[in-house]
Amino acid sequence: MEIEVDKGILKSSGAELLPNGRRGLRIHDWEIETLRGTILTSLALQDWEEKLHTSHLPEMVFGENALVLRHLSSHAKIHFNAFDALAGWKQEGLPPVEVPAAEKWKFRSKPSQQVILDYDYTFTTPYRGSEVVEKDQEEHVKEKANTEVEASLQWENCDEQIDLAALSLKEPILFYDEVVLYEDELADNGVSLLTVKVRVMPSSWFLLLRFWLRVDGVLMRLRETRMHCVFGKGETPTVLRESCWREATFQSLSAKGYPVDLAVYSDPSSISQRLPVIKQMTQKLKIPRKV
Amino acid sequence: MSDLDQQIEQLKRCEPLKESEVKALCLKAMEILVEESNVQRVDAPVTICGDIHGQFYDMKELFKVGGDCPKTNYLFLGDFVDRGFYSVETFLLLLALKVRYPDRITLIRGNHESRQITQVYGFYDECLRKYGSVNVWRYCTDIFDYLSLSALVENKIFCVHGGLSPAIMTLDQIRTIDRKQEVPHDGAMCDLLWSDPEDIVDGWGLSPRGAGFLFGGSVVTSFNHSNNIDYICRAHQLVMEGYKWMFNNQIVTVWSAPNYCYRCGNVAAILELDENLNKEFRVFDAAPQESRGAPAKKPAPDYFL
Repeated sequence: MEIEVDKGILKSSGAELLPNGRRGLRIHDWEIETLRGTILTSLALQDWEEKLHTSHLPEMVFGENALVLRHLSSHAKIHFNAFDALAGWKQEGLPPVEVPAAEKWKFRSKPSQQVILDYDYTFTTPYRGSEVVEKDQEEHVKEKANTEVEASLQWENCDEQIDLAALSLKEPILFYDEVVLYEDELADNGVSLLTVKVRVMPSSWFLLLRFWLRVDGVLMRLRETRMHCVFGKGETPTVLRESCWREATFQSLSAKGYPVDLAVYSDPSSISQRLPVIKQMTQKLKIPRKV
Repeated sequence: MSDLDQQIEQLKRCEPLKESEVKALCLKAMEILVEESNVQRVDAPVTICGDIHGQFYDMKELFKVGGDCPKTNYLFLGDFVDRGFYSVETFLLLLALKVRYPDRITLIRGNHESRQITQVYGFYDECLRKYGSVNVWRYCTDIFDYLSLSALVENKIFCVHGGLSPAIMTLDQIRTIDRKQEVPHDGAMCDLLWSDPEDIVDGWGLSPRGAGFLFGGSVVTSFNHSNNIDYICRAHQLVMEGYKWMFNNQIVTVWSAPNYCYRCGNVAAILELDENLNKEFRVFDAAPQESRGAPAKKPAPDYFL
């Protein structure tokens, strides 16, 4: 993403864009990068289905898309990818949401015909990001088979909150991007969409991972995770993470007098306040000096 | 040059027609479509195309690969509109070609050719944006009701947008449907436009999302056998490789929207059948970014919170 960033601002912020057409930048010992590819081929899809022990994956899985934030001196890495998110979906294994049309179908078909697929076709995931400490480059080459050790990064619950006031300041954005991890049109019965977007300013980086689900006429789910890391505060960086899950049925919205017209519910940002919060969590991660 | 030929040239440049011209074109199209059967007979050679979804510049690539109409005889399996940026121009070009060369292009109905679906997935908004009123959307959706539900190539290849229905055993049962209506929420007509083949079901299955029926290999075998057809050709589902055979070559999905939604990176395909019904899939890529008129990929930086 080649937004025209003023070279002077980059330089005075101590940032440099990544070379060779890579999307991202280095700033304050962080390397922040987005990766993009196509949806999975049929072959890759089969491979994922085997690994995830499922026979159903979203129609559009962007298997190569990712947001990666590497803390260079500690080799700590926070990253976002479709595979881990779908592993989360599989593990959570919510019961399926039924659309009104399905109920009608069931009603008019013989019980003997009712082979009902009972997986969570909404692909709702509790995913809040992946973290790992990577081995350094030399060891990388030596031990290719085992390039990443178990995550030894620990998120702890905390009371601190992301400083939204600071984030509302119109600081210049040095890098901005958004990638889709997976998407399904629910066979034209709504949308299931997992995306992550990031912005990097001279004083901090901030990201939003958003799972957005609208099953037309039935329900909406919004599961958002925000991470914020202020540069140069303390010896080692601390990342704050806030997750907020919201959910509402169309029925409950209608009962509150909100419109249930689908066109109103195309952009989750504008209607999120209407959806009651069902879960909230704030945590922090202290990036260790050296692992 | 006749008005119609001029309109076709204009649409080929992706310039929409005037509202009054759309109205007149739709009236003429209606006269032609009303005569068509629910199982429209199509002669080979013919080139079969799947979903287009308003990706006008990619449809131009399709015509580059497949040849121009009327030189090439075309069968489009529906889903002309929604999701892409040029549903209006895409549908009107196909419709104008239909009026100009009724025997050289066949258009059948997809599940997106519906009032309800187009209000959610883009065509309605696009008409409103481009014309300032919903009249054009009304003319077009009225025409959707006249589109045929399926086609039969040389009595051997059954073509439909979605798939089969438990209410349909024979082609004659399709012929008796009164199709001139909005796509219903259930029943045979709905199933033909919405159903999907599914590996893991034997017989009929229901998806919790209610997207028509799911049908397995045994259903296809018995349908093909009792109607004496070689295979079913359908669209409706995105396939990364542009086409996909299932159940021992008894059914094939053809998908003709490359780089679907301008970001999937998939290729598209069309199926060319010669006069002896020999098959050739022609795979093609999306139009180059600079020529397709889609908004640039780069997201505008945004102070999201």
